[in-house]
Amino acid sequence: MANNRMEANTPPPSVSPSIQTVTKTTKQKKRTSQWIWYIFLIPSFLGIILFMAYPIVESLRLSFFKSNGTIETFTGLDNFRTVLTSGPFWNAVWNTFFIGIFQVIITIPLGFIFATLINSASKGKNFFKVIYFLPNVTSIVAAAMIFQFVLHPEMGIVNFVLDSLGLPTPAWFSDPSTSKWGVILLAVWHWIGFVIIICIANLQAISKEMYEAAKIDGASSFQQWLFITIPNMGGTFAFLLITGWIGALQRFNEVYVLGGPNGSPARSIQTMGAFIYERGFTGFEFGIASAATYIMFLIILVFTFINLKISKLKL
Amino acid sequence: MNSSMSVKTMHRISEIFKFLVLLIFGVILMAPFIWMVSVGFDRTANITMPFPPRLIPEEPSSFNYGIVFENGRLIQSYINSTIVTVSSVVLSVSSSLLAGYAFSKGKFKGKKILFFIVLCTLMIPMEPRLIPLYTLFNSVGLLNTFWPLILPSIISGMLIFLCKQFFDQLPDTLREAAQIDGAGEFKIFFRVYLPLAGPIAATMIILSFIWSWNDFMWPLVVLNNIDLHTVPLYLASFSQENGSSLGGLTMALATVSILPIIILYLFLQRYIIQSIALSGVKGE
Repeated sequence: MANNRMEANTPPPSVSPSIQTVTKTTKQKKRTSQWIWYIFLIPSFLGIILFMAYPIVESLRLSFFKSNGTIETFTGLDNFRTVLTSGPFWNAVWNTFFIGIFQVIITIPLGFIFATLINSASKGKNFFKVIYFLPNVTSIVAAAMIFQFVLHPEMGIVNFVLDSLGLPTPAWFSDPSTSKWGVILLAVWHWIGFVIIICIANLQAISKEMYEAAKIDGASSFQQWLFITIPNMGGTFAFLLITGWIGALQRFNEVYVLGGPNGSPARSIQTMGAFIYERGFTGFEFGIASAATYIMFLIILVFTFINLKISKLKL
Repeated sequence: MNSSMSVKTMHRISEIFKFLVLLIFGVILMAPFIWMVSVGFDRTANITMPFPPRLIPEEPSSFNYGIVFENGRLIQSYINSTIVTVSSVVLSVSSSLLAGYAFSKGKFKGKKILFFIVLCTLMIPMEPRLIPLYTLFNSVGLLNTFWPLILPSIISGMLIFLCKQFFDQLPDTLREAAQIDGAGEFKIFFRVYLPLAGPIAATMIILSFIWSWNDFMWPLVVLNNIDLHTVPLYLASFSQENGSSLGGLTMALATVSILPIIILYLFLQRYIIQSIALSGVKGE
């Protein structure tokens, strides 16, 4: 009896400490799991501090100094004044915008049309996808190298075709008045595959039911395209506009290959990126180049926000 | 009966028309490549390009390719690009997997603000960072080494973002089960979630590979030593030295530099196209 009572009584006191230890360990575990997560983030945030935050702040500081990398003197807003009153800088802004605008307004509609054609094709869907995307996987540097010959005024295939069709043959990269169009052609050729792939991916995400409902109502396939497909692609067009435009503002590789750091002929294809490279790494005017990068950075940010506002995209 | 027949034929005609349009435009897009390969096999193209252009050279020869390979710089640049790219891919993918997993499954203070910082890095272009990074690597004596090309890959906002989204789709119950078994966070990550991350890891590897392989401006700034040049740098310096002369050699060089990437692309096209599409449909 006594034993029984003992047994009956013993559990409660022995249970309660065990519960306590359990809650204690989970609390401890919670605390350890709190800090253990920061270990997961160490590599990335080390990178953010060293290669993102520090350079972006340091670049702003540098833009207030006259500097060649070793000797620095504070000059206030002089660098910004120099850049903003410099003809070559505004020329570079103009070139960048000109090429970028035409790249975007040609490639997005054209790419979209081909995406709908590929998407509705009954045969060879994958074949066309692969072919159309091929230019985009080749590096833009190699592409620029090829285009120097493709658009050669006398020996290039484009002018050969134009000539045999009886059309005028521009001098492309040899003439400052047509060289930007050469870069635009290259950009369209290189980017259209990307536009097509993104469009196809989003076309396939539009629900089939909408098309079926429209078919029952007797809508033609062109009407379906106009009233269902296009309105549903708004977000995609906005995304392409943003990525395309921001990429265009940073254009450098192909114009460097085609025209060198000063964008020859006659600075006609020098972009903002090339201007910064020219002042920073051929002239070693770090202060002026930094001021120019900040102006470019602000331009990019402004357009990013405008684009985000227009497209109501949530980032 | 009659009208349904005509609808059918109409449909077939429009199908054929579509196919033809796609084919013609495809040929136009491929024309530069086709011409590149053809001119590469034309020895005489180094003096003047064959005009009018023809598909098959008058006297096909592998002369240009011989010269391209005899000059060891192409192969050297391939080795350099491979070292840089493989290291960058390993670094960026592993650090992004860790961070992406923590942002998805972790519970810790400041998670939201830290993730916001990661998203902010997506808006910071390379140009404003160019000069400070150059002076940074200069001050530690690492210019003209591969380190400046490899180390900054440790942070990639895009890869972290894609990785977080992937882990968000995996259920938390897997974690809870492993936790009951007493596994620590690292063990849970490596034993439970990492083995499931194959598809997203493949995407991350592909994207990181493309970015690193095609990188141009930053390598141009930090590598002056031609023995260290990556493939794009070698192509650019060759092209700048010769302009639009030596067409045959230039085209042979372009072919050899593009071909491995194209072969890789043809084998992996499904995954590559999926990866590109995934990085592009992030808005949804």
